[in-house]
Amino acid sequence: MAAIEFTAHRQIETLYAAHHGWLSGWLRRRLGNTADAADLAQDAFVRLLTRPVPLASAPQARQYLRTMANGMCIDLWRRREVEQAWLDALAAHPEAVEPSAEDRAIVIETLCRVSAMLERLPEKVASAFVLSQLHGLRYREIAERLQVSERMVKKYMARAMLHCVLLEAGSGS
Amino acid sequence: MPSTSAAADHAALEQAAWWYATLLDAGDDADQQARWQQWLQEPGHARAWAQVEAVSRQFEPLRGEHQRKAADAGLKAARRVSSSRRRVLSGLASLATLGVIGWQYPRVRHEWLARTADYRTGTGEIHATGLADGSRIWLAPGSALDVDYSAALRRLRLHEGEIHVQTAADAQRDFVIDTAVARLRALGTRFNVRLHERGLQLAVLEGAVEVSAAGSVSVVEAGQRLRVDAAGIGPTQLADPDADAWIRGILMADQMSLAELVAELSRYRPGHLGVAPEIADLPVAGVFPLRDPDAALAMLERSLPVRVRRPLPWWTTLEALH
Repeated sequence: MAAIEFTAHRQIETLYAAHHGWLSGWLRRRLGNTADAADLAQDAFVRLLTRPVPLASAPQARQYLRTMANGMCIDLWRRREVEQAWLDALAAHPEAVEPSAEDRAIVIETLCRVSAMLERLPEKVASAFVLSQLHGLRYREIAERLQVSERMVKKYMARAMLHCVLLEAGSGS
Repeated sequence: MPSTSAAADHAALEQAAWWYATLLDAGDDADQQARWQQWLQEPGHARAWAQVEAVSRQFEPLRGEHQRKAADAGLKAARRVSSSRRRVLSGLASLATLGVIGWQYPRVRHEWLARTADYRTGTGEIHATGLADGSRIWLAPGSALDVDYSAALRRLRLHEGEIHVQTAADAQRDFVIDTAVARLRALGTRFNVRLHERGLQLAVLEGAVEVSAAGSVSVVEAGQRLRVDAAGIGPTQLADPDADAWIRGILMADQMSLAELVAELSRYRPGHLGVAPEIADLPVAGVFPLRDPDAALAMLERSLPVRVRRPLPWWTTLEALH
């Protein structure tokens, strides 16, 4: 069977008709919540619309949708967890100014982006990078905190930065 | 050729990252600055450097004076999520045999599910409800429960808090409660399940309940209780016959410390409720009204050498009476 290129709305419609109900059900079971499941199912098809992929058969389409939806669930959980941790920490520091809705959205977005970038790095490498980027610590101070040499901190920094730029270059943005 | 240019790009990025790590912590070393400037002039290097700068700029919104600690907490939370996700993925094979893969998603999953559950109760709220099959459930304060009945199975999912369950008979469909640490299957019964930070406590009042956790199974009979945590199913003990008193709005204290009683009362009362350490271990006995926790505090004042102090509307502490 020839690969189907989902480049037109009509083809997306076919795909939508064939798999949307199934995907919503799958997400609902996974998330335990109908509204979020509906949102994510919608997002999944929007993504397909904006970044078409060739899917040769119905099982392959479902496999693809499931993988994509799985990633979206994890992103959603991460986002909510990150937001909650951030809000809790803010609440613990009453001297901090209540952020506006926009600031809040920007910070959460940034936290998700940055944490996704650092996710695969070893603990100490990621810590060194955050201590430098976020807190502006000198290598000497970072070295003390992490119980490593200053030379090692510099290596960590180069490694973390390379990892991030490669990720950014690879994501095509 | 694309592969060559990709390799060149990679080398340029590698060097850019190295320069970044070098310059970030360097003093005013003119020599080094000059060498970096020279490097920057070579083909492709300016572009690689721009990419390094772009990554560093991404941290900008997080750098505010009061932002950093909160941002730190957010990043740590994200790291917890992703590392537990990796653990889950690597452990999938063994978990599949339990049939509870979704439930092994750590705290994140059920904390978040708890916020969107079918039934949830806030502080001080006891909610009683009947289910489609005639079973009855009571939710204690701070509980979250999903009800998921199908043609084959009556399934509840307890995300947090405590429920009391009285099941209706149905020969066709099992009645199960899934929690993060265990599956409970009712064998014609009335029982109480309370989730803790690390596990759960089950007390059976009538019938029996089958507990499955971490690959083992245990049956708890009426009059028994046990705990389940990450390590597995604990030993069976004698149940408190008043384990269901809370559904009638009563707390029966018997061999309870004041600190334990205060912890219970605070589930029924908004705001902070604390107890001074020197009186925390005082033994308490009695019957206390959960729906009127302030009356319960007044009772404590009458029966124990303690006084209630309310320095702020949302702040109450029990202190020793001097």
